[in-house]
Amino acid sequence: MTIVDAQTAPFSSLPKRRDPVLIGLWISLVIVAIIWLAPIVFITFTAMKSNPEVLNSAAFAPPEKIVWENFTKAWVKGNFNETFVNSTVITFIKVPLGLLISAMAAYALAQIQMGWNKFLLIFVLFGAMIPFQVMLAPLFTLVNSLSLIDTYPGVILPYLAFGVPYQVFILHGFFKAIPKELTEAALIDGASHVTIFRRIFLPVSLPVLAALLILDFVATWNEFAMALVLLQDKHMWTLPLGLMSFQGQFSDNYGQLNAAIVMTVLPATIVYLIFQRYFVSGLTSGAVKG
Amino acid sequence: MFKLNLFQSARSQALILLIPAFGVYTLFAIWPLIDVVILSFQEWNGISADRKWVGWENYNYIFNNDPVFWVSLKNTVIWTILSIVFPPLVGLLLAIGLNQKLFGRASLRAIYYLPVIIAPIAVATMWRWMYDPFFGLFTQILTDMGLGFLARDWLGDRNIALYSMFVAYVWQHVGFSMVLFLAGLQGVQSTLIDAARIDGASRFEIFRYVTLPALSPTITIVLVLSTISSLRAFDIVYGMTGGGPAQSTQMLAMWAFTQSMQIFDFGRGSAVSVVLLVITLAIVIPYMRWSQAREEAVK
Repeated sequence: MTIVDAQTAPFSSLPKRRDPVLIGLWISLVIVAIIWLAPIVFITFTAMKSNPEVLNSAAFAPPEKIVWENFTKAWVKGNFNETFVNSTVITFIKVPLGLLISAMAAYALAQIQMGWNKFLLIFVLFGAMIPFQVMLAPLFTLVNSLSLIDTYPGVILPYLAFGVPYQVFILHGFFKAIPKELTEAALIDGASHVTIFRRIFLPVSLPVLAALLILDFVATWNEFAMALVLLQDKHMWTLPLGLMSFQGQFSDNYGQLNAAIVMTVLPATIVYLIFQRYFVSGLTSGAVKG
Repeated sequence: MFKLNLFQSARSQALILLIPAFGVYTLFAIWPLIDVVILSFQEWNGISADRKWVGWENYNYIFNNDPVFWVSLKNTVIWTILSIVFPPLVGLLLAIGLNQKLFGRASLRAIYYLPVIIAPIAVATMWRWMYDPFFGLFTQILTDMGLGFLARDWLGDRNIALYSMFVAYVWQHVGFSMVLFLAGLQGVQSTLIDAARIDGASRFEIFRYVTLPALSPTITIVLVLSTISSLRAFDIVYGMTGGGPAQSTQMLAMWAFTQSMQIFDFGRGSAVSVVLLVITLAIVIPYMRWSQAREEAVK
């Protein structure tokens, strides 16, 4: 009896009696989850329907016949060939490079006493709180004066700058917790700080680095405002810029518009679904401790 | 002698480790921050060689002659108030629910968090289509329920556009608050809860007198982060309405961008930015002091 109960009851930890409050809670959470998923289901279904079917079928009716052309046509019209490559190049250079320089700085701040470590930490932390949206115009001015508008470095350098604060903050907290005696022992053995960083600190912080890597991948992939200002030439556009322009031009072709949305969102979603665990740890290790 | 050498080399090694991050941060994050303040006292179209000093003229203009500035300030305030009430509240409720040992709670958590990782500009595009006054999701559902007369031009009606946009924002941001609250709830000691239960406290009493006080640092963090992210709202405005109709969804970040990058008045745009910056600092600086003090207390 209890075995059957434990398998069928929604609350495996409470095999003996079902708590009505918990059952009510579970049902309401499931209903809210369905509402939360509804927009995604709607978009995905629309992406697979032909235009007449979009206009005539019910919102949540699955497509009668999947129209794959929506995706191929949207890919061509939306110039996804170029935007996809640009997003990939920018993300794959920015994310590892940013993490490396942040980790180096965090190590120095946490393990090498220089007298002004605390000041530097507050200085860099400050940047995590400032909205870069207020600086779009001066950022354009700066990048323009370096003749880097419409280039990869022109957008990667500002991305690096705005990624540093949060990552240094998190990694500093982590490196600080590693006892100084370990570093001192290695120094006496003749190792340099660079070696200690590379051979000891990087390997032990792999889980944190993985979490930050995933978070930063999604943030970089999704970034829109800076790219809008710094990438004016449409051959240099990233996926979010391409999607925005697609919406402006082909908003009456519902199937293709939704196909474009799905294709833009899919890479980040896949990364999220695979590495879910890391998202939570990456986010919470910074904001909420203990 | 050996000691001195070691010290010097430690210092130079520290510099090598620090310079890449601090160099790029200072040049591309801190300098624009200073430059926006400088620009706000200048007149400049973004192209010409000379940037002319005009004193407080830009501020004078936005405060006294620019009605859109006041509309966008008002909208930003409404938006911020809504953002510190609804997403954290819903996030807290979900977190409390998901903190129980429920069937499938990992999947439920993943579903609530999913919108957070979708690009804000894609969320804007999605919701713009869902708000389509003829074929969009909301109009269709209402029509199917025989409530077609309730359907509106959700983003075209200046009285409701801001709130329509906010619904999309809630959908995207609830998961973020939820995850932070879940982490905070893990920190509430279960022994305290068990003790309260043995003493005969009701569920509500346990929540009110045990969980909530233990959660108060998390609540502060979530509220501050929600405020900051609401002040940043830009992508969603740009993607959904562009500030329209009739500036009814215009907000400070968007208006600063429009002035500088579309009207090419860098001075006035920067003055709007500085106002937004001052509001942000008024929240961030006390918060950083608080978290600093909290960290010292933990030590």
